[in-house]
Amino acid sequence: MINENNYETFFMSYIDNELKATERAAVEAFVLTEPKYAAALALFEKTKLQAPSVEMEDKIFLYRFPEMQAKLDPDFKSSLYKKEAPIRKIIFTPTIIRASFAIAALLILFIGIQLFKTNTVIKEKASDVSTNISSTNSKQTKHVILPKNTLEVSVNKKNNSSAVLISLPINNTNNNLVKSVTSTQASFEDQATATNNMNTSIIKTTEGLSQDSRVTEGQKKESQISSSSMQTMASEEEKAVPVISTTYKEIDTEAEDRTINIGMLEIDGAAFRGITRRVSALLKRNKIEKEK
Amino acid sequence: MTVTFRSRARLMLIEPSFIHEQLSMTDLEFNICVDDYSDGVYRFILKISKNKEDARDIVQTAFEKLWVHREKVETLKAKSYLFTVAYHLMIDQLRKENKIVMTDSFDENANAITQGSSELKQLLLAAINNLNPTQKSLILLKDYEGYSYQEIGEIMQLSESQVKVYLHRARLILKNKLTHLEKMSA
Repeated sequence: MINENNYETFFMSYIDNELKATERAAVEAFVLTEPKYAAALALFEKTKLQAPSVEMEDKIFLYRFPEMQAKLDPDFKSSLYKKEAPIRKIIFTPTIIRASFAIAALLILFIGIQLFKTNTVIKEKASDVSTNISSTNSKQTKHVILPKNTLEVSVNKKNNSSAVLISLPINNTNNNLVKSVTSTQASFEDQATATNNMNTSIIKTTEGLSQDSRVTEGQKKESQISSSSMQTMASEEEKAVPVISTTYKEIDTEAEDRTINIGMLEIDGAAFRGITRRVSALLKRNKIEKEK
Repeated sequence: MTVTFRSRARLMLIEPSFIHEQLSMTDLEFNICVDDYSDGVYRFILKISKNKEDARDIVQTAFEKLWVHREKVETLKAKSYLFTVAYHLMIDQLRKENKIVMTDSFDENANAITQGSSELKQLLLAAINNLNPTQKSLILLKDYEGYSYQEIGEIMQLSESQVKVYLHRARLILKNKLTHLEKMSA
């Protein structure tokens, strides 16, 4: 029942129109008892909003018409969708597992061999670093005007990046020869082997002032002299660099008492031949017996 | 349910042969629902979200859902269905926007019917704007749409007692504000 403690709740339910007819009558009677309750009820009624007339714009788009219900051909509609590729399942049968293990083992073996090879190559290279001739200045071209009757030879040393110029006297008939000595990395195989991995690069080109004097006897002499001078240089370098020589033993295949090497095994040649002879004799005997 | 004159005239403007065409009952009822409830739903959302574009989108989405489920929704419950969908869409929108109110505010003065003195109306609107979205929704559903506590509970997924308690709290806040402001003005 409405009283001084709960009248606000009743008033709010009253304005919300949530009271029964008897309760509404009770509230109206309670309000008449004191004017402050009437004021309170009036204040609560002020909190009640009145709905403004709002019209939605573009409401016309909300309507539905029969034309809107047109349905697409299901085949055409399905063709518009992106088709997904069928998922392929890999079934791990025992054979596949075994094969994969075998492939993995082979791969590991191959990688191991490759690594072993690369390691050995690196070690070899590291040992050869000290003996290699630097090729940084190998493509330099120098035009030098040499004095009369001289030939210039450029040699790149292994530890010396700069070229060594040697002038040798030449008994040439040409006077005031202008020589362009181009030092490239042309390797003289014979020289290099002789000087233990030393690149001795020499290219000598002669361009005489007169074109007629290109192929002359003098040039032949120059080449002879240059080769002789290179040999002298090689002998000098040989003294400085230690030589690691590999010796190869010639095998006489016709010798009776030679050893046969199969991998790491060493088999006595005579014994091996004896075994093969016996085996072949055995096979021949069997064959003859079968024929009989 | 009957199609109002206004909506019928509007439909005729778009499609003159509309009257002669045979719409299925469901289609006709849907169009009647658009005619009768779209403004109410729009007003309710606009009042809380304060953004015309958002309100329009939400109303459109709500009617789209009604169209999709038109065979499941009873015609008599279409209004509460629309308000329910629109309310939850609005709540989702407010959560996304982190309750940031857009500046494109709804000018109620242009469309409002006279509500006593304009000063009191302004005070009341200011007081309502300070309420949280739930309290505001409760007040609007009760005062604008005239829903009962039970119907409001169904729309907002609250119990009847919860609706009563929350609504009474909101009314008390409004009353206290009005009392304070009246004292200030006096």
